[in-house]
Amino acid sequence: MADTSTSFAIPAPDANRRSAGRFARWLASEPVFRLIPFLLVEGLFVLIIVVPFALTIWISLLKWRANRPFETARFAGLENYEAVLTNDQFWLALGRTFYFAGVAVALELIIGFVLAMLVSRCTRSRQLYTTIFLVPMMIVPIVVGYNFSMIYIDSGPLNQILAPFLERFGIDPRIRWLSHPIAAQWGIIIADVWQWTSLTFLIFLSGFAALPRQLVNAARVMGASPWQTFWRIELPLLKPAIVIAVIIRSMEALKLFDPVVLLTFGGPGTSTQTVAYFLWEQVWVFNKFSFGAAASILLLVIFSILIFFGVYMLISQRRTVEGGAP
Amino acid sequence: MNTDTTITAEAARERKLRRQRVRRVGRHAILLAWMSVVVFPIFWMISTSFKDAGEWVAWPPHWLPNQPTLLNYAQIFAFGALDPTLSRQATEQAFTIWKGLGDATLVCTTASLLALLLGTFLAYAISRFKVGGKYFRHTILMIRMIPPIVVAISILIYYAIIIPYATTALLSVRISLFDTYVGLVLIYAVTTLPFVIWMMLTFIDEVPYTLEHAARLMGAGRIAVIRRIVLPLVASGMVVTFLFVFILNWAEFLLALTLTHPEVTTLTVLLNKFQSAAEGRLYGPQAAIGTIVTIPVVVLGLLIQKHLVKGFSFGTIRK
Repeated sequence: MADTSTSFAIPAPDANRRSAGRFARWLASEPVFRLIPFLLVEGLFVLIIVVPFALTIWISLLKWRANRPFETARFAGLENYEAVLTNDQFWLALGRTFYFAGVAVALELIIGFVLAMLVSRCTRSRQLYTTIFLVPMMIVPIVVGYNFSMIYIDSGPLNQILAPFLERFGIDPRIRWLSHPIAAQWGIIIADVWQWTSLTFLIFLSGFAALPRQLVNAARVMGASPWQTFWRIELPLLKPAIVIAVIIRSMEALKLFDPVVLLTFGGPGTSTQTVAYFLWEQVWVFNKFSFGAAASILLLVIFSILIFFGVYMLISQRRTVEGGAP
Repeated sequence: MNTDTTITAEAARERKLRRQRVRRVGRHAILLAWMSVVVFPIFWMISTSFKDAGEWVAWPPHWLPNQPTLLNYAQIFAFGALDPTLSRQATEQAFTIWKGLGDATLVCTTASLLALLLGTFLAYAISRFKVGGKYFRHTILMIRMIPPIVVAISILIYYAIIIPYATTALLSVRISLFDTYVGLVLIYAVTTLPFVIWMMLTFIDEVPYTLEHAARLMGAGRIAVIRRIVLPLVASGMVVTFLFVFILNWAEFLLALTLTHPEVTTLTVLLNKFQSAAEGRLYGPQAAIGTIVTIPVVVLGLLIQKHLVKGFSFGTIRK
């Protein structure tokens, strides 16, 4: 459809307005319209993304720390890459990131799905529920981290609620949740689930709203039980929404950084260090620039595979949605 | 016999009604439970922001402040030197919000406008002329998926080391983009451009091309067509996109933390500074800042609630 722009002759619009400058006419011509925005945006991308990455690759081949002058750097080949690949903490942090993302995304999907299903069956109170359930998504992640740090402190409301149970077993209710490795990990996961369940809820809610009513009703009339209608009709129709929610949430969850800084600073020990936090510490605290550069290049390679996979899935989902929709 | 069947039918109907009622009560119970989970942290922050220093970490915690006070707000909104009633430990560094608020507003607005301008024109070109090929929109999407820490390291090296080094060598002037408004605006604009392009594409695709055609045939120039026909039709879409991108920039933390210090301070970085204050954390002022940071984005977010799914899912979900 868009190709028709050149398929027929357009009468020269300003034939009787000779005074229009040649420059203005050139500016309004099609090639300019095609190229200028493209060149501007691509130029910006090249300047801000591509050039820095090329330089990062170069830096990653040098042996250099930021507290020494740049001139003293010497070429070191793949030494930095070797240092990263043999660094246990890097691999542990990477594994931990995938663990956090996996658990958090699974919980978000389940809770979001159940909530969307329940809300889509409401009639009058639907708007109210939707509005309130969407609020966490809009809250700044750093504020979410702060909120949960207030809830987890030893004299926080969580301990107050648990106190009657804990005192029965003779445990001091003033627990420092974030000082225990596993509790701290779950603290971060819960904060993430609290915030991002709203997104999966939103995706599933629009999925439920788009379900063709006739199909569901037809199945019911033909005597299908609610259970059968759900598993055989609604769930298959919701598959695109589920795939999209999984991809979008996993991509975001792997970037986990803000709540870690606000809640635990990667501690206790290194039990809540995500890969983003690990790199931040290496570069901004320990000034290991070339190590950080090598690690970020490696990380980009690992993530590129995931990104390609994710975008490929998104494209194919989009195609089925567009092809299958009546 | 006859009465018997009516009785059983009535009983069956009653049973069905009761089952429906039970189901409805159960549904609302679950939804209300999640609602309280959602509301509680926000309630706790707002409540803490009205508590005085002694109540921040009292045991057992006070759900509502015993003596509500505006001291926290007075402290973060103070001008100049703090007067003795407001200065608490660790606050002598004058943690006022004005600098952060101003910087955040300036950077977010400029970056969002820049991204909106560039992104809208590129989206128009992609939609109408298929610029960049069939999968260009997806290539752009990939940029957004790169983890920001990877970008942050290369940008730090670029801004703080390479650019000063190169400009000193070539122009003998030391120019650094590290910790400047320009540097932060540029990186924010680049990281949000994919969102702008995706959202504007969905809006521009909806404008029928025949409309533009008709105008062109009647003698309108390309610029006039855009100004008189396309822009009015996508104006509301542009507003939504701008607000969405603004929210994203407003919430951004990692890039602001890593690429600025100490000159430019956005609100998220300011909130974090309290966290690492050596003399003990100031829960009250922090809660006050959190409340102030949250209010504008939640209001804006609720305004564009209907369009949020478009933004967060890159338009992969159709209404």
